Amino acid sequence: MKDIFVLIEHRRGEMRDVSVEMLCGAAKLGGTVVAVLLGKDVDAFAEKAAGYADKVLYVNDPLFENYNSEAYQKALSALIKEHGPGLVLIGNTAQGVDLAPALAVELGASLLTDITALEMDGDKPKPTRTFYGGKLDAHFTMKDADLYILTVREATFTAEDPSKTGEIVKVDNPVTEDLSYRKFVEYVEPEVGEVDITQSTLLVGVGRGIREDKNMPVVEELAQALGADLAASRAVVDAGWLPSDRQVGISGKTVKPKLYLAVGISGAFQHVTGMKGSEVIVAINKDPDAPIFGIADYGIVDDLFKVVPKLTEKIKELKGA
Amino acid sequence: MNMVVCVKRVPDTAESEVHIDASGKDIDKSRLSFGINECDNYAVEEAIQIKERLGEGTVTVVSLGDKDSDEVIRMALAKGGDEAMRLEDDAFKGGDGLATAKALAAAIKGLEYDIVFTGALADDDGYAVVPAALGELLGVPHATYVKKVEILEPGKRAKVGRELEGGLMEFLEIDLPCVLGIQTGINEPRYASFKGIKQAAKKEIAVKSAADLGLNASEVGEAGSWAVLEKFTPPVVGEMAEILEGEPEETAAKLAAILKEKGLV
Amino acid sequence: MCAEEIGFVEKYDLLGCIQCGRCTGGCPVALRTDLRVRCFMYDTQNEERLEELSERPEIWDCTTCYTCAARCPKGLEPLEVLIGLRSLQIEEGRVQPTVRDALESIFKDGNPWGSPRAKRLDWTAGLEVEALEPEAEEATDVLLFVCCTDAYDPRVMKVAQALVKVLNAAGVDFGIIGEEESCCGSEVRRLGEEGLFEMCDEENVELLNSFNVNRIVTVSPHCYNTLKKEYHGLKHPVLHYTELVAELLEEGKLQLSKEMAKVITYHDPCFLGKQNDIYDEPRYIITRIPGVEFREFDRCRERSLCCEGGGGKMWVESESKAERLAEIRVEDAKELGAEIIAVACPFCLLTLEDATKVKGVEEEMRVADILELLAEAL
Repeated sequence: MKDIFVLIEHRRGEMRDVSVEMLCGAAKLGGTVVAVLLGKDVDAFAEKAAGYADKVLYVNDPLFENYNSEAYQKALSALIKEHGPGLVLIGNTAQGVDLAPALAVELGASLLTDITALEMDGDKPKPTRTFYGGKLDAHFTMKDADLYILTVREATFTAEDPSKTGEIVKVDNPVTEDLSYRKFVEYVEPEVGEVDITQSTLLVGVGRGIREDKNMPVVEELAQALGADLAASRAVVDAGWLPSDRQVGISGKTVKPKLYLAVGISGAFQHVTGMKGSEVIVAINKDPDAPIFGIADYGIVDDLFKVVPKLTEKIKELKGA
Repeated sequence: MNMVVCVKRVPDTAESEVHIDASGKDIDKSRLSFGINECDNYAVEEAIQIKERLGEGTVTVVSLGDKDSDEVIRMALAKGGDEAMRLEDDAFKGGDGLATAKALAAAIKGLEYDIVFTGALADDDGYAVVPAALGELLGVPHATYVKKVEILEPGKRAKVGRELEGGLMEFLEIDLPCVLGIQTGINEPRYASFKGIKQAAKKEIAVKSAADLGLNASEVGEAGSWAVLEKFTPPVVGEMAEILEGEPEETAAKLAAILKEKGLV
Repeated sequence: MCAEEIGFVEKYDLLGCIQCGRCTGGCPVALRTDLRVRCFMYDTQNEERLEELSERPEIWDCTTCYTCAARCPKGLEPLEVLIGLRSLQIEEGRVQPTVRDALESIFKDGNPWGSPRAKRLDWTAGLEVEALEPEAEEATDVLLFVCCTDAYDPRVMKVAQALVKVLNAAGVDFGIIGEEESCCGSEVRRLGEEGLFEMCDEENVELLNSFNVNRIVTVSPHCYNTLKKEYHGLKHPVLHYTELVAELLEEGKLQLSKEMAKVITYHDPCFLGKQNDIYDEPRYIITRIPGVEFREFDRCRERSLCCEGGGGKMWVESESKAERLAEIRVEDAKELGAEIIAVACPFCLLTLEDATKVKGVEEEMRVADILELLAEAL
C-alpha cells in the first residue's frame, strides 16, 4: 500500500483538531502515515504530529506563515509528485475546500469532499458523506486512480493519545518562484457584541423553524424565563433576526454551555459542530427525522409555537415556586 | 468588467422531509419545490452590484441543468443579468463536483470575463468543489467562502474577504480574472419581480451540449466522475434523544421538570 | 398596463383630487406614522418626483384599509396611489427582505409563509375534510377556500379547523381544493407586485372554475375581497364564512347548545366591513351563542379602527415606535370590560393577540375568531 499524506492545518499559532483526528484515522487504514506540515517556525506542531505519524515532512518557510492557496498548492503538488502517496487527507475546512479541488485538478487525482466515514477496499477508499444538509448519508465507491484526495469533516475520526515517534524530515521549500496572483493581507476578528455566547451557561438556539422576525418574541420570552442567552443558526443570522455574534457553528462560535436548547433547528452539521459539546442538549422540532435529535439528550417532536410558550409558562411557574 | 455567475437549481429540502426513491441513489422529488441554490443567489447579487457600482460591464448567467433551470436563470436575468447560457446534455447527468466544474469551465473558457462567481457550495450535494476546481481548470486564481469583495482596480485586482471558522475573516488580494465562491450573507439579494422575469423570458438562453463545448461524453457527467454514488441511507444517528411524548402541555411540563432536576432552572 | 406606461395622473385621476384632506383625516395609520396620503395625492402629479416619492419609507405604512377611499368626496382611491408607488420599488427589486421572501415563496410554493406546498394540508390532520375532484359530475355545495395563513400558521390553523367542525356539525356538503390551493394574491397586489397578482388571478380562476360547486366560501376576508372583486372570470359566487354560518343558523341547521357566559366585543375586519359592508352577520352569529353578553366598541362598523394587519403589513414593520393600533384596540376592549375580542380575519387575530401580550393582558383577555367560539358552543 502506498503512503497516506495527511495535511496538518494550523492558523495563528494553533494546530487544528481535525489534523490529529485525520492522523489517527489514517493510522487505522494501513500503510505509512506521513504528516505534511507547511509553516513558518512551527517546530512544535512537527513534534506534535510526530506523535501520531510515521513521518513528518516539514517545510519551514516564511511563505507558509499564513495560508495561501497558491503557495500551498504548489508546495503540496511538488511533494506529492516527489513522494507518490496513494491517498491524501485534507481537512474539510475553509482552508481545505479552498485547496483540495484545485490540487486534484492539477494532479489529475480522484477527489471526494466532506467525507464523514472511510473504509478501504484494498488501496481504494470507500467513503461516506452526507447529502441534503445531513438528511441522508451517501455511500460512495471510487473509480481506479493513482491518487485519491479526500477532504475530511471534523470529528469523522476520533483523536487518540499519541502512540508514534515519527521521524521529522525537514524539507526545502519546493516553491522557488515568486508568488504572483494571490496575496494574504490580514485577519479580521469578528465584531464582539454585547453578549459573548461562548461564555453563556444557558443558551436557547434559534433556527429556521422560527420562520419570521416577528416570531422572535416566542424564543426571547423562553430565554428570559430561563435566564439564558439567545444563539442562532446561520439562517437566522443571514436573515438579520439576530446579530452575527450569536451564530453557532463552523462559521460562527463554538459553545459549550450547561444547557443548549435548540428550537426549530434541524441540526445541519455546520451548526451541530459548534454546540455538540454542550452538557445537556434539548431539541424542539416538528420534524421527527431532524438530525438534531441524533445528538440531543431530550427531544420534543412538535410545533415549536405550541410547545415553547407552554415551556416558558412552566419555567416561570418553577422559578416562581 | 465582465462577470459570469454560475447558478444551480436545487430542491428545497430545508423545510421538507426527504425520501429515498426506489433506485436508492436519488430522492423522490415529486413533492419538493425547487429554486436557486442559496449561495448562488448571493453570487448573482454580488455580480450585479459590482456592475452597478462600476457603472459598466456585463453579467452572464451560466447554469448546468435541464429546461426547468430556465426559471432560475430568468430570475437572475430579471435582476440585472445580461446574457445566459444553459448546459444541457444527457452526458452531463450524474456528475460529481469535478465533472460539473469541467463542463462549466468548457463553457466559460470561450467568454470574456474578469470574475466568475459561483456559490461556495450547493445545498443538495454540498460538494463545495466547483469554485477551486473551476479556477484551476480555467488557469486563474480562486478564493472560496468569500464574504466581501472590493474591486481595487477594475480588470486587474480585487481584495476579498474569506469567512473562516469562528467568523474570522481572511483578507487577501487576488489578480483578475479569477473565480470567487460566494458565501451566504455577503449582501442582501434583491427581488426579481414577476414582470421582470417575464421580460427576461424574451432574452435568449443559449443552450449548449457537450459536443458544442468540445467535450467528450466520457469526460463529463457520471462517466467523467471519480466518485460513484452507490446508495443513500437515512443517517445513522448515535444514541437518539429521549423523546418526550404527549400534548404540548405535557411535554413542556416534562421538560421543565427535567431541567429543574438537572439544576438548570 | 404598468405605472410607467399610463401616468399616475390618469391612472389614479389625480386631478380630480380637491386636497380636502379627508383621506389623511380619516387615515388610521396617520395616528402613528408619517404617512400623509393627501400629500401623495398632490405630489405624485409630478411624474418626475415619482421615483423619489417611491423611496419614502412611509408608503409601506399603509394598511390598505380603505378608509381614505370610503371617505373621499370625489370617489378617488388614495390608497391605490401608494400601491402604485410600491410597484415602482418592486420593479426595481428594492423591497424589504421579508417582503421579498414572502413574494418569492408565493411564486415558488403558493404561500407567503416559506413553507412547502407539500405541507399545505397539515392543518387537516385528524379532521373530516376531503379534497374535491375537478370536473366532478355531481355538484358539491361549498368549496372552502382556505387562506394560506389558516393553512400554515399554527395559531390561525385552529380557525380553519373550527370551520370544518362547524360545517360538519351543520351537515354542509363541502370540500377543499387540496395541495393545489394557492395564495389568493390579495397581499401580493397590495404590496405592489402587479405581475405576480395577475398570475394568482389567472391560475386561481382557472383552478376554481374547474370545480363543480355551487359557491365558494373563504375563511379570510382578504381572500373574499380578492376572489369576489378583483379576479377576472370567476364563475362561482363567493361568500365569506360569516355569511354562510349566519345562513346555517337562520335555517336552524346549526345548533349551539353550550353556554358561554362571557362579555364579547367584535372587531370589524376592514376587508369585511368597510370594504364589503358585512357588518350584521358576524354580530348575528356572536349573539346566537347562549349566554354571551355582546358589547360594541365605540369605534365600530364603518368607523372601526384598522388592526394594521393588511396591505402586506404582515411583512413590513413600520419605523414608528408609537403605540400600535391593535394595542389601542385592546385598550379600548379593556375599558369596555370585554373578556373576548371576537374577530373574523386571520390577520386581525394575529395582530390583536400580539397586542394583548404587549399590553400584558393575555391572561384576562382572549382574542378568538368567531369560528373558534362557535366550535366551542356546539
